[in-house]
Amino acid sequence: MEQILNRPEIQSAVVPFTAALLGYFGLRKHTPAAWIWALFAAFLIAAGLINGATFTPLTGTRKIILLVLASLIVAALGPVVVQQARLQRSVSAALGIIAILLVFWAVVTRMEVTAIALFLVGGVALVLWLTWIFDRISDDPARLHGAGFSLLLGTGLSATAGASALLGQLALALSASSGAVLLGWVLTGKTGKSNQASGSISTLPYVLAPVLLGLAAVIFARLPWYALIPLASIPLVTRLLPGELESRFLRSVVSTLPGLLIALAVVFWIWQSGSSASGY
Amino acid sequence: MKKILILATLATLPFNALMAASYTADPSHTYVSFAINHLGFSTMRGKFDKQSGSLEYDPSSKSASIKIEIDAASIDTGHDKRDEHLKSPDFLNAVENPTITFESTATKWNGDKLASVTGNLTILGVSKPVTLQVTSINCGEHPFSKKDVCGFDATGSIKRSDFGVNYGLPGVGDVLDLDIELEATKN
Repeated sequence: MEQILNRPEIQSAVVPFTAALLGYFGLRKHTPAAWIWALFAAFLIAAGLINGATFTPLTGTRKIILLVLASLIVAALGPVVVQQARLQRSVSAALGIIAILLVFWAVVTRMEVTAIALFLVGGVALVLWLTWIFDRISDDPARLHGAGFSLLLGTGLSATAGASALLGQLALALSASSGAVLLGWVLTGKTGKSNQASGSISTLPYVLAPVLLGLAAVIFARLPWYALIPLASIPLVTRLLPGELESRFLRSVVSTLPGLLIALAVVFWIWQSGSSASGY
Repeated sequence: MKKILILATLATLPFNALMAASYTADPSHTYVSFAINHLGFSTMRGKFDKQSGSLEYDPSSKSASIKIEIDAASIDTGHDKRDEHLKSPDFLNAVENPTITFESTATKWNGDKLASVTGNLTILGVSKPVTLQVTSINCGEHPFSKKDVCGFDATGSIKRSDFGVNYGLPGVGDVLDLDIELEATKN
């Protein structure tokens, strides 16, 4: 059993997918935040398998795990406290920027001033952009989870190709969880606007996880920073696509496929450009 | 009178330690290398290209201390892609933890020769006691520079999982054999 649980594909695909699907089915009738709690349970289990239960020393990767878990709790409970849309966006963006500083500040301050400035501008821009665009699709489960799935899949595969399987596995675990939630919605959800938790704070994990894991792959490993740009366009592409289809299955496919293609193209590009450190 | 002599001897002990000659590692003659099992097939070897260190050594008072700092990003296994992976958060996380250190805390002697050094090895910010067996140590005047030089060879083993370097276990071995060869010039 231990040998099976040590396999990367079990840790970052099978286990989180199953946990999220079961969590979603178990909670969907009880709370609009079912999908968020399903992601929380899945990521908690997957991160436990990937990282173990040790958090000392508190490395950047471990900070990311804790912050993603915290963001899922905030996403589930935050909308109860903060209801106004504009305030939600501000709170969500502020939390994203604080998270970046918490993870990277100690390392970034060792860099040259120009690099610090570029990192801050790029990181803040990425948080603001993803906060805004995910807010725009937050009330459409097909678009939200389709974009989340593709963005996290692209981040995970890019991080793996960019020399860190650890960061990659964490992103892939969340991607698998998003896929499970999307499948759960396809099988049980309502067509049209859903009654699931929505708004900027609810989408905070979909902003925070790819931003932190993507930047970590750039800073701690060797993922080219410009790989994050096409990945960040995935939610926009998902939003621009026609989504008013009757069939939930077709809606989920239409919302997922273009982002998936972008994600795979980015990974192929990294592989071809020689930036990949895997495959030796 | 006997008591006074004993007390006088005891009182000088710390000074003996303080009087141990101090040496600075010569980077061009200092090597930190390692060997690890690869998937049960063979032994993979690597080294670090940048390190610094110091040695305090006085065989007459049997006092010695060693401090070595290794640049984690200078890991070199003769394969660029693998080296990049070894620097990543999967293994040494060299951006966050740029330095691997060894600082001695105790020594054992075989006559007037240093036999082993126990100290704290810090990898990924985790410090664990490690004992290095000193297989050779010699001091004397360098034939060309005419400076006093001390050099030693030491070996030891660690379990990388003790330091939280868990990636690839159990395929890539847990036990890592360390070899340290250091030459240091008297300050």
